[in-house]
Amino acid sequence: MHILVVEDEMKTADYLKKGLSESGFVVDVARHGEDGLHLAMTEYYDLIVLDVQLPGRDGWSILQSLRRAGRQAPVLFLTASDTVADRVKGLDLGADDYLVKPFAFSELLARVHSILRRGPARQPEKVCILDLELDLPQHRATRAGQRLDLTPKEFSLLSLLARRKNEVLSRTLIAELVWEMNFDSDTNVVDVAVRRLRSKIDDPFPQKLIRTVRGVGYVLDAH
Amino acid sequence: MSSMPTDPDPRLPLPVFVQRLWSITGRLSLLFVGSTAILLLVAAGYLYWGLQQSLDRGDRALVRGKLQVMQAILREENDQAGMLENEIEHEAAANELLKYYLRVLDARGRVLIETTGMSGFLPVLVFPEPAPFPTTSPLIVERTISTDRSYLLLSAEVAASPNGQERRILQIALNVEHNYVLLAEYRWKLLTVLCAGLIFAAVAGVLLTRTGLRPLRAIAQSTQRISAHNLAERLNPADWPGELHELAAAFNAMLDRLQDSFDRLTEFSADIAHALRNPINNLRGEAEVALGQVRSLADYQQTLGSSLEEYERLARMIDGLLFIARTDNPAATIEHSPLTARAELDAVQDFYEALASEKKVAVHCEGEARLTGDPMLLRRAVSNLLANALKHTPPGGKIVLAARNLADGSAEIRVNDNGPGIAAEHLPRIFDRFYQVSKSRDQTSLGAGLGLAIVQSIMRLHKGQATVSSELDRGTTVNLTFPPQAEPSSRESSDQS
Repeated sequence: MHILVVEDEMKTADYLKKGLSESGFVVDVARHGEDGLHLAMTEYYDLIVLDVQLPGRDGWSILQSLRRAGRQAPVLFLTASDTVADRVKGLDLGADDYLVKPFAFSELLARVHSILRRGPARQPEKVCILDLELDLPQHRATRAGQRLDLTPKEFSLLSLLARRKNEVLSRTLIAELVWEMNFDSDTNVVDVAVRRLRSKIDDPFPQKLIRTVRGVGYVLDAH
Repeated sequence: MSSMPTDPDPRLPLPVFVQRLWSITGRLSLLFVGSTAILLLVAAGYLYWGLQQSLDRGDRALVRGKLQVMQAILREENDQAGMLENEIEHEAAANELLKYYLRVLDARGRVLIETTGMSGFLPVLVFPEPAPFPTTSPLIVERTISTDRSYLLLSAEVAASPNGQERRILQIALNVEHNYVLLAEYRWKLLTVLCAGLIFAAVAGVLLTRTGLRPLRAIAQSTQRISAHNLAERLNPADWPGELHELAAAFNAMLDRLQDSFDRLTEFSADIAHALRNPINNLRGEAEVALGQVRSLADYQQTLGSSLEEYERLARMIDGLLFIARTDNPAATIEHSPLTARAELDAVQDFYEALASEKKVAVHCEGEARLTGDPMLLRRAVSNLLANALKHTPPGGKIVLAARNLADGSAEIRVNDNGPGIAAEHLPRIFDRFYQVSKSRDQTSLGAGLGLAIVQSIMRLHKGQATVSSELDRGTTVNLTFPPQAEPSSRESSDQS
């Protein structure tokens, strides 16, 4: 998978390149608006991560030029201003998603995955990870052949982690996808919920599936 | 300067233009002069009319008096001719001031006797038809013979013998020209008084208004002294006339509000700096110590993980502050959709279930209400309140999330706990940003003291209200009141379609 990052802020560009490369993407970086547009027009990319404020040519103008030229590569905007008008403008111009600075890298990674997955988005009916088996339509979970007694929300949480295995999910994203709470909560609700889930699916077994990534979130390891 | 609207809009109605142009002094003086002018004109007119009337009445009485005298003379038989001559030729001629003229004609109209020279300017035919005998109140007419001569004329048939057989025609004329001279002089005097009065009124008007408006200048001077540095200064209404008490009081109230906002802002900046200081200090210290010597991989990971937690805290604080700042903008609006409160309460309760059962606090929802609002913002508000309640309610406690519609169509959402409660002195400021009841609050909480401020902002966006009541050792209740739904009828019709 080939990703173009257009970002003038050195440190941001560096850690984006490092983080995305380590997640298995091939990353090109442009630090100038014109360079970014040139690369986007001449190379093929699966995704473009575009900062709004750039020297030379701003992100909106790059996106506009791309779409006018018929380039349909998905675009993820990065912006420091989260006024509704800005968001609407970005989405109107044909952006696929946006992230407001400061954002967690795990959040960016999750959005990148979600945009790239958007094409063939058919949900599998069964997810198997090691000895964990999830029957999604039936809301049934078993581990090592034992039926796990989970509440509906615990099942949603587990299936989210399982479907996006090996991907670190932030607490905000988990709260949003499992409970539809689209905002940061000042409490450790998600931690408590994960702890309870662990007590059912991990505590009785020697191999632990859910791993805490300190300061980032949770991941279900599939190896 | 070119952008300044210097030219008045030609379509502008005149009164507004005049209003803007004229100072209060000008307007009051004009009113003063105007009313004085009306008063003086009425008074002068009345006096003039009165004088004219009494002059006229006097002259007519004189003419009638003369008629009686003449009647008496003509009825006398002794020395009638001598008396007539005396009366007509000498008496009339002698009276320079009141020039009157007499003429006696016989029944056929021949002149028997007349005041010398009378026929030159008062011929017989000038007089009206003689009033027939016996006459009680003969008609007196006024005639202007030439430009400078006006006369009162009377003509009557009178008896010329004691038995009344013989008749004479009597013509009496009184020159009233002197009245006009007098009245003309009087008019000049009145005009002089009028002009003097108006000038006096104008000067007095300006002086009086200036004096009367002096307190306004005092207010202006007082307000000029007030700046951000001495907002505590107040105007003293007792120094001012009664009419300005209200203004002074309103001004002071405005200063109170300004000072309050200013104080809060100052405190707020200090609080932000303070709130930033802690996480930055942690980050800096941990990084410094970690780099102080070569450590194991696990140590570095531990340090970085801890840093991430601090960053997250900072990011959350910035998000919260931005959210509040945006909603503080009066132009901020939200999408209003009709929703049922209970569904949102249930969702929030569901979200906090794990945390609540771990803390051994029972949370339950009751009631139902219909309202319009943004569901996610409503969840956020209730979530912040519930998080707060959970933080302060001891194990075994109970939290109720309740919703109901009030009679006027407004909706109320109540979050009630039976925790330790909040002291009354904290209640007025509990919704302020960064305000913390206990200054030495546990640092473990993820919040930065913005939770309730965000609730307040959300309620402001909904044009509703957040209120808190609390009793020590009994618990705390927060009420969120939503205004009545805008168009319930259109909502229902859209429900049916």
